[in-house]
Amino acid sequence: MRCAACSRAVTRAVSALAGVERVSVNVATARAAVDWDPQRVALKKILNVVSEAGFKPLPLAGKAAASVQRAEHRQALKRIGLAGLGMMQTMMFVYCIYASGAHGIDPGIAQYLKLAGLLIATPVLVYSGAPFFSGALRDLRRRSPGMDVPVALALLIAYAASVVNTFRGAGEIYFDSVTMFIFFLLAGRFVEMSVRRRNLSATEALARSLPTTVARIAKDGATERIAPGLIRQGDLLSIPKGAVIPVDSLLAAGEAVVDESLLTGESVSITKQVNEPLSGGSINVGQPIRVVATGCASQSMLASIVGLLERTQAERPAIVRTADGVASWFVLLTLTLAAAAGLFWIFAEPARALPAALAVLVVTCPCALSLATPAAMAAATARLARLGLLVTRPDALERLARVDVVVVDKTGTLTSGMPVVELKDTRRGYSRAAAFQTAAALESASDHPIAQAFRKHATPARVAVDLQEFAGRGVEGRIDGAIWRLGTHRFVKELTQEPGADLSGLSNDAGAGIALGNSEGMIATFVLADGLRPGALRAVEQLREMGLDIAIASGDQQEVVDEIARKLGVQEAVGRLTPQAKLALVQQRESAGTRVLMVGDGINDGPVLAAASVSCAMAQGSAVAQAAADLLLLNDSLGTLAEAIRGARRMRAVIRQNLAWALVYNLGAVPLAAMGWIAPWVAAVGMSTSSLLVVLNAARLARSPGASQ
Amino acid sequence: MNIVFLLIPLGMGLMVAAVAALFWAVNSGQYDDLEDASRPVLDSEDGQPPSELPIERQQG
Repeated sequence: MRCAACSRAVTRAVSALAGVERVSVNVATARAAVDWDPQRVALKKILNVVSEAGFKPLPLAGKAAASVQRAEHRQALKRIGLAGLGMMQTMMFVYCIYASGAHGIDPGIAQYLKLAGLLIATPVLVYSGAPFFSGALRDLRRRSPGMDVPVALALLIAYAASVVNTFRGAGEIYFDSVTMFIFFLLAGRFVEMSVRRRNLSATEALARSLPTTVARIAKDGATERIAPGLIRQGDLLSIPKGAVIPVDSLLAAGEAVVDESLLTGESVSITKQVNEPLSGGSINVGQPIRVVATGCASQSMLASIVGLLERTQAERPAIVRTADGVASWFVLLTLTLAAAAGLFWIFAEPARALPAALAVLVVTCPCALSLATPAAMAAATARLARLGLLVTRPDALERLARVDVVVVDKTGTLTSGMPVVELKDTRRGYSRAAAFQTAAALESASDHPIAQAFRKHATPARVAVDLQEFAGRGVEGRIDGAIWRLGTHRFVKELTQEPGADLSGLSNDAGAGIALGNSEGMIATFVLADGLRPGALRAVEQLREMGLDIAIASGDQQEVVDEIARKLGVQEAVGRLTPQAKLALVQQRESAGTRVLMVGDGINDGPVLAAASVSCAMAQGSAVAQAAADLLLLNDSLGTLAEAIRGARRMRAVIRQNLAWALVYNLGAVPLAAMGWIAPWVAAVGMSTSSLLVVLNAARLARSPGASQ
Repeated sequence: MNIVFLLIPLGMGLMVAAVAALFWAVNSGQYDDLEDASRPVLDSEDGQPPSELPIERQQG
């Protein structure tokens, strides 16, 4: 799978089958996605058709794929090695003939050297050059010429002419050119494939992270090792330290420390308690644990993520299809041009006819054209996946690069949805810290979310005893002999016996306010707020620095939204929006010509997400599979989004550079070659370098930018 | 100049030897994985029996 023509051949062959609904082949990733009706056509039939078309169908992962890949890798190395050594030898012989031109060379020795060259070039052509010939044959059978056709033609012509001239005892020989073509083209192709494979490694790392066997503990306590595919719901599994948890599961006993970086891109250790859910794909970094499977491997979050990534990588966006179409015409044009150049030189200067035609055939590089876009997209997608952002539609990155406005739904994106307590005021000379510490001490035994919010703020410095919880009202406890209460104003007032006038200012928001007091009176009041996510402020700043407008659209109270907007420095913040009003807001923006990136929590906001140019959802757990957004943020960090937009913009720049290079190279090199100004060996180097340059340029996208962070 | 007739087959013989050596090296798996082979040394903890090294699992 190297060129546009290859992917078209597969697409055409498979879609001709009855019962196949959709076929999509991605040339950069060498992956095919097929929707078919198993009632009407068997998978085996599809695979047969693919192999008839001249390609080896392989399952995406597993032992079979790995061993075939290894065999191909070995064969490629051997081909390159033979071609390289053969090239050096032939070059030496042919150089003797060239160099001796002025002084004359013994005809016997010259003939001897030519025969030696033939002896070496033949195995190189047959063994090392085989991929070009089989590729060209396949293209001709399918009547859709790819880049192998001109190369194979050039090799055959050069070799045949040299053989004839050797036995005729007159005329030029091109054994050096033949071996050199093969060596440079093979080496270029090899490096290009390695780079492309590495760009994909994010998906592969995910898919390969699954262990090959898992220890299942039977009812009688015996342990057996089974394949992850055999895990059933309810199985008790033993996970050693450092191993990947293969399926979504519940922690069976004790405490676990896991790292979900494979799923979210964030390498943070998370502590889980008994019966807390663990996502398949997280790594057990703590002590060995036992878990109860809640699903099978194919339903885990890991499997959903891998599935989505693969779907994206198998699809071909519109821009790629256009480039592919152009590339196939380009090959036909090349053949015509080479024939024309050859004919011209036969009449003008016969000695230069063959080199010129060869140079035209070899120098053209349709692959640079058809690889320019998909290589860049694959690299960018893979890198974002490592950061924790899944791209679910191939066109999404292109659109993301052009976004003007980011509209953020507040809850679950900017704010965590977890309550955060903030101090409103203190009295009687109590400090802020003292008030929080006292509150934390009183809440030390409670599981209530508000209690957790207090405990997050301060560690209790004093010990509270006789703790009592009054549902819906608050807690009471004794600290250093004095009775304290923390809860609703009414609840605390019952203890303090203060006159109502003291609290009149607070009575309005008494519902959300929390009071702290002891028998002497009211000590402090707190308010509950929806806490900003850590990093939200930084992310908003980053987005603004990148020249993007930011707007908040929320269904929450206007005051709450205003408060968040003030903290973030966002000018435009609208609250109290119904889903319809949000949709209208986004549509209005879009029709005004601005491109909107809508960020939502991915729940119940499908229409709004769909109305925007690009949509991004905060995806958690198994919701990943159902999410309808273009982008899925797996790690809840808006900072990743800023990084993604930056990445998408760089991707667009790289695609432009690649296309520009492919165009300039081909437009420049072909006429030069036709004029006979490019030696055949320069042509081979130029064409390999050209496609390599495009792929390496794209590979820059896969690297994390160290400088920008 | 007759020495040329001997030296050229000799050179070709050397090339055949070089090709044979390369094929042997590739076939014996020396170039299969150039990256991971360097890692187990860092991963293994002191006192851990070598049979638990990840490399063992891959070969098995």
